[in-house]
Amino acid sequence: MATKRIVIDPMTRIEGHLKIRTSAENGIIVDARASAEMFRGIEKALIGYDVRVAQHVTQRVCGICPYAHAEAASHALENAMKMKPNPNGQLLRSLITAAYHLQDYLLHFYQLCSLDFIDITSCLKYQGKDKTLLGIKTWIAHELKSSEIFPATPFFPRYEADYSKNDELNISAVKNYADSLAIMADLHKMVAIFGGKAPHPVTLEAGGVTTIPTFGKIAKYKTWFRKAEQFITEKYYNDLLGVLGEFKGYFQEGKGYGNLLSYPYFPDKHGEHFAFAGGATIHGKYQPLDMNLISEDHTYAYYEDLPSTGIKPLMSTQLKPITPNRFEQERDKANGKYSWAKAPRYNGEPMEVGPVARLINTYHSKTNPRLQQKVDQFNRKLGITLADYPSVMGRHLSRFILASETMERIKEQIEELSPNEPAFVEGETPRNARGYGLTEATRGALAHWIETDSKGYIQNYELIVPTTWNISPRDSQGKPGPVEKMLLGTNVNDTDHPIELARIVRSTDPCLACSVH
Amino acid sequence: MKDITRREALKKMYQAVIAVGASTFLSFDDLLAAQETPVKPYVLWFHGTSCSGCSSAFLDMEDVPVMELLTQFFKMVFHPDLSAATGHQVLQVIDTLLESEQEYIFVLEGAIPVKLPHACMIGDKPLTDWVDKLATRATVNVAGGTCAVHGGVTKMQGTLTGAMTLQEYMNYRNIPPSLVNLPSCPMKPEHITYTLLHYIKKGTLPKMDNHRMPKHFFRRSVHERCIYHADYQENFFAEFIGDDGCLFKLGCQGPATKNNCFTVGYNSNTNNCIRAGHPCIGCAGERFPRQIMYHRYADPRTIKNKI
Repeated sequence: MATKRIVIDPMTRIEGHLKIRTSAENGIIVDARASAEMFRGIEKALIGYDVRVAQHVTQRVCGICPYAHAEAASHALENAMKMKPNPNGQLLRSLITAAYHLQDYLLHFYQLCSLDFIDITSCLKYQGKDKTLLGIKTWIAHELKSSEIFPATPFFPRYEADYSKNDELNISAVKNYADSLAIMADLHKMVAIFGGKAPHPVTLEAGGVTTIPTFGKIAKYKTWFRKAEQFITEKYYNDLLGVLGEFKGYFQEGKGYGNLLSYPYFPDKHGEHFAFAGGATIHGKYQPLDMNLISEDHTYAYYEDLPSTGIKPLMSTQLKPITPNRFEQERDKANGKYSWAKAPRYNGEPMEVGPVARLINTYHSKTNPRLQQKVDQFNRKLGITLADYPSVMGRHLSRFILASETMERIKEQIEELSPNEPAFVEGETPRNARGYGLTEATRGALAHWIETDSKGYIQNYELIVPTTWNISPRDSQGKPGPVEKMLLGTNVNDTDHPIELARIVRSTDPCLACSVH
Repeated sequence: MKDITRREALKKMYQAVIAVGASTFLSFDDLLAAQETPVKPYVLWFHGTSCSGCSSAFLDMEDVPVMELLTQFFKMVFHPDLSAATGHQVLQVIDTLLESEQEYIFVLEGAIPVKLPHACMIGDKPLTDWVDKLATRATVNVAGGTCAVHGGVTKMQGTLTGAMTLQEYMNYRNIPPSLVNLPSCPMKPEHITYTLLHYIKKGTLPKMDNHRMPKHFFRRSVHERCIYHADYQENFFAEFIGDDGCLFKLGCQGPATKNNCFTVGYNSNTNNCIRAGHPCIGCAGERFPRQIMYHRYADPRTIKNKI
């Protein structure tokens, strides 16, 4: 049998630095390794900083999902302070993160993934009068004829692949690729009006949100929201269904383990009754969340080996990256360390986190009938079942369903705000305390743990981040990480243009800066 | 490009100039008088030890839609979050560019790990190798965002990678200083767009201070243009979040941070941190992140300076 190495390095249109190495036998992937390629060491560097600094610094772990880090850090500190925000604070926090979720869904579908499915050259056939499309049409035609060394970057070169031949869909998706940017800017403004700025909103402190929601601010938020809602329910919906229809086979690709982990997210104004439930679905069976089952393995990660491989959160203040020499040695070994990401496990199992986990766990938990109904409707419409969700197209579909549920919640909660009333409660700096905070970034379950010293400085800090779960390397048992598992068995048509692998990896919305931190 | 006339294109550019409050520095007549066919500069955008926040903020640019920036103002040869090119194609694009005579602008987001070069690998090569090649050949280097300019979170106490800013690295490797520093976390899209426009139209970088930061954006502190500046002068201070008055006693870094947040705020001037009721965290400053950022004045851990 002919074994061929297929390497994708760098993986683009994701957040951060990722390398995928695979071996294929007769075009079928038999081995896959995902390497996170960038390390900053931020979580342990927080030791010695004031407890309130964690919120700001951990946001900088990721510029795509900073809101989630702000929320998790605030929760963790509130947990250590034994306090909760007032209803206004809780509402504002959710309204900030929810708007950011919507922005993140659009970014992922249009800018990061759509170019894997649609053919931008369909614009050359465009006969209408839309200025944006005419601009793109003229530009592509001009560039492709020119003597530029690489015409029409950044949209070319691309993998030669089975792009959609549906001109109508392609043209619509290109138009919305451009138009979604303005909508995303508006969604970021919704974050900024209460959060100060986006990315990296500052106001999400432990104790609530420092902004006072005035009538003017609420009105602005609503105005931007209406535009975004229309775009999502019409444009995003149509383009997504178009892509789902053209690439139905991708409900069977990139399935992985199908073990799903999520944390509770989007509560009511009292911080209870979450729109999206926490929990774990393992081998098809749902169970409530148990945080004590989480540990991290570093057998294949670029850190000096500690005596124990399964380390519980906050059980180590040591995180010694290996030296450049050792790095070279490990790279030359057949079975050496190969990633900066550690391998989190839930009761020893690699878990997929993200939109599918959020959706399926909520469905099984029976805590959100409206979401269940939506899922049932889509299943009937598309002729799929819950088992089809952990897959490339299942992930794309889940994001839309979650976006639509998120919008329903936003509409309810914006009306519950008490205008011109404070949204922040001051709390005593916690000393010799511990706390943890959970939330969901769009790409999955995020947890922060904090431990403080006698003066209110950080004594230890731990992050276990969505992409660390998804992109994790093998563990001491040799079990591949979830994305590695998704790639196994995939049939690659053209090993020089492994679009199938790119589609699978991108469907999980990897965020590498997050995953290693 | 016949469908869009030169005048129309220039009008768009001028909108960007107005948006950053730079119309006194670059007038519409300046643009008209500039060379007949505007040269589209090539831009090569790299992620060092970054979080993509500056890229994400760049996509929010509104006064000129991003698609127009990409198709009509400059040629984005490579951007990690936008390029269709994947894997080996990326390396081919960069190699071909380096082998050609083509001039380009190199934008680096994030810092450069020097002590642990393997802490940032692209195409199986450490970032340091890439910067050696790319920054040396570039006509202009842009350090985009606080990490690339001051180190930011990648250089906080206790980090182990030996992160260098782009300027430090260029000095260390004797790369000629064709550099512009654009701090802020994230970098404001207006700052980079204006800097690039200035370069496109005038062939030079905007006037810079000793730290190679454009004077137009970084001449004054946040404090000097603050809505609470008068309160500060009258010693009228907020003691708690939500109080009226200057936020200085809550740890505001406005006086120590040079940036134009009150003329060009975030998200197309939608808001800034102080307007949102939070003290400035000094995200564009050299000492970001500080050991204590937001605190009560009564907190014994902070040094009390009598005002």
